[in-house]
Amino acid sequence: MKKAIIGITVAVLWFVCVIAFAVASADSGTSEHQFTVLTVKEDAVKDYNTMPVFKELAEDTGIEVHWTYNTSAQYSNNIDPVAIKGIDAIYHSGFSNLKLYDYGRRGRIVAIDEYVDKCMPNFKKILDSRPDIREALKSPDGHIYSLPRVEEMGLKAYPNILYLNKAWVEKLIDANDLPKGVNLTKDQLKDGLDISRDDFKAILEKFNEKDFAGGGKTVPLAFVSGNWQGNESDLIASFGVPENREHKTIVDGKVTFTFENEAWFEAVKELADWYSRGLIRSSAFTQTDNDFLARGQDGRYGAFYWWEKDTVVAKDKRDDYIIVLPLKNSDGSRYVGVSNELEVEKGECVILDSCGDKEGLLSYFDKFFEPEYSAQLNYGSVKSGAFLSEKVGGKLIPNDDHGIQSADDFRMKNAPYGVVYLTKEVWDNSVEMESRAKLRLENLENYVKPYTYTGVTSIPNLNYTQEELVMLNTYESSLSNNVASWFTGAITGGSVPTKDSWQNLLNTNRTSIDTVLRINQTAYDRYLAAIA
Amino acid sequence: MANVEAAAAAQSAVDEDLVEQAYEALDGGTPAAPGKHEQTKWQKWKDNFKRKGWILIFILPALIYVIIFCYVPMYGILVAFQDYMPGDQIIGSNTVWVGWNNFNTFFSNPNFWDYFVNTFLLCILGFIVGFPLPIIVALLLNSVRPKKVKKGLQILYYAPHFISLVVLVGMMKFLFGSEGLLDNLSKTLGGGGIDLFLKAEAFRPLFIFSGNWQDFGWSAIIYLAALSGVDPALHEAAKVDGASRFRRIFSVDLPAILPTIVMLMILSVGNLMSCGYEKVLLMQTNGNLETSEILSTYVYNFGLIGGQYGVGTAAGLFNSVINVVLLIIANFTSKKLSGNSMW
Repeated sequence: MKKAIIGITVAVLWFVCVIAFAVASADSGTSEHQFTVLTVKEDAVKDYNTMPVFKELAEDTGIEVHWTYNTSAQYSNNIDPVAIKGIDAIYHSGFSNLKLYDYGRRGRIVAIDEYVDKCMPNFKKILDSRPDIREALKSPDGHIYSLPRVEEMGLKAYPNILYLNKAWVEKLIDANDLPKGVNLTKDQLKDGLDISRDDFKAILEKFNEKDFAGGGKTVPLAFVSGNWQGNESDLIASFGVPENREHKTIVDGKVTFTFENEAWFEAVKELADWYSRGLIRSSAFTQTDNDFLARGQDGRYGAFYWWEKDTVVAKDKRDDYIIVLPLKNSDGSRYVGVSNELEVEKGECVILDSCGDKEGLLSYFDKFFEPEYSAQLNYGSVKSGAFLSEKVGGKLIPNDDHGIQSADDFRMKNAPYGVVYLTKEVWDNSVEMESRAKLRLENLENYVKPYTYTGVTSIPNLNYTQEELVMLNTYESSLSNNVASWFTGAITGGSVPTKDSWQNLLNTNRTSIDTVLRINQTAYDRYLAAIA
Repeated sequence: MANVEAAAAAQSAVDEDLVEQAYEALDGGTPAAPGKHEQTKWQKWKDNFKRKGWILIFILPALIYVIIFCYVPMYGILVAFQDYMPGDQIIGSNTVWVGWNNFNTFFSNPNFWDYFVNTFLLCILGFIVGFPLPIIVALLLNSVRPKKVKKGLQILYYAPHFISLVVLVGMMKFLFGSEGLLDNLSKTLGGGGIDLFLKAEAFRPLFIFSGNWQDFGWSAIIYLAALSGVDPALHEAAKVDGASRFRRIFSVDLPAILPTIVMLMILSVGNLMSCGYEKVLLMQTNGNLETSEILSTYVYNFGLIGGQYGVGTAAGLFNSVINVVLLIIANFTSKKLSGNSMW
């Protein structure tokens, strides 16, 4: 009897499970909306379905889009997100060039260029007026597989500003303890401080010696090596080489590696000296950007490279830091490099082949490129308070007052980001820039940009043939591994890096260097010809 | 001492007899039928199966497991010969076969030999240090007389096994990383600070010693189990013969666990080229790339992160082939030298 009861219970449970599973799998396919789009967002970001900007878009276009979510952790664990059932598009897909092309040529994502003429007036206008963007978006087979994010503020090319702890320098002045040969008065200690690299080093040594932060917590010069912002590139650039974090830049139309330049080696040698003196700490080479930001809050940095000081230092210490002009080289020159961070990003949104009405969905996304929608997608909706409800002179005016919330928090929760088109034209005519961005730009204009090397430009988003992609894959990863490893080893190794070891690095990687440069140059020449 | 060894040999002979007897008992003690020796092999097999076939049911779950999780996924190595991305059929109309191209890409990587040598050194050094350690620990623990001390030590030794890798590497960073114990100590004493995670030459020692610290106690358990099977009479006989404690370890304990040692050695040689990539990735910095970039991290970075699934699989397959070759060599050598082998 007992056995029979157990048997029946198990059978019933089993049956229930099967039914539940069947119901669940049947359910996921049905929906009342015209389109379902998967987006990658963190839980803290508000539900897209409730965001006013999307409601406005729905009213405007008559197209209902239902948003579903993956957190970035979930999303990155899925090696084949295109296979997710019941979605028509992926927003924030983050696909690399290679992945876009791989999916595209297999026909699993839509070649958007085939629909541009039919249903995407805004996107068409962009592609027609901006051949550089058109070029940047193309895959090796000439198709465009994703919608871009274009945010041109002229910020990303210059990701480093040097800040110095003014309060500590003042302490040195008060104690009459400035290093020998350094003449600074308190009046000089304001944004745009003009100082030579050698004097700067002497001051850092004093910081280190005095340990102003106390308890050995002083970090004389902080940065995050290899990070996209706040890296050591501009310190190296001061030696006379247009450095960026990829060590690759365009000089007078030629793609070059900075580490082939003798000035680069001299810079590494000097940095090794700074390191051995404790002016640069090992944390600069191991920390993540979050570590860096957390450590800086209590003002223990003597100097640091970052885009702005507000995120690095807590409010009460913020006034202690001033902007230093790019450090003056021993020959009196003063330079910064140009980064390769692009303002046109691919892979922001892809449409899946399984989407039933591709034209409908694309015409919906086409609206995203209109200035007012772009602005609201990028900063938050007008109705949520990201912008003032009244336009001034035809322009949307950002609302800086978010109550107790910081501007970053507000934007993080309210702005979906993604597909936007914000260019100089838009900033001039339709949308006023945020005051923070304006300040950042102003700082760059005043203290950084004028010192760019003449003839040096960023490497644009280049298009490679499949053959070139394979070659690049083979050579570039090993090359950048070897250079990064030599660079870090030379600086932190504890001995003075020799010219031989540098030459050796160049010689052993000669094939890789030449191959990568050749491929990049060919692609760049093609790019120039295409946009001409 | 020859007595003792002879006794050990006798013991194992006795053991074998016992086992045979046990099997006989399982047979149901069927009397030897006349003309049994005339049975063909096939008949014998059938006969055996009829009588003892039900025992096979016990290995069925393991068999199913191995087939489903080890053999079936193996068709995935075909990816090594394809231009593959997730969602493609591995065998189907849209499969793009590329022959040996992926292997070419992998072998033509300028750093291929560096990665190969790094992998080999990391694993072989880990093996040299890590293999004898648990044996020694087991032998020592086995000679500890007070039961409580023995148990206590054993727990103390294998407790670190339960620390997760991420936590372990976190601990190491607190001790040896930037602003860690060692770094701060050196700064306090007027030095320039030490960050072992940035030193290429420190990577292997850190990796190997932390790994062994974590696992030597755990690996010793299997030897301890083998040691507990040693007949106390052998020890007593040896004592009577005047053997010292040390001598007894060498002449009684060690021969008793030798088959276990050989078996485990063959198995670990078969895994010689595959140290897990997770810990290496966690410990990797630009400063130690020179020694810390190994084949499996290459497979991870290039294949999974870079989306080059074919090349990644090719690299993994290459690694596995080396492992199989090593396994066969180890098995063969051990068969020749000691008579112990897996097959």
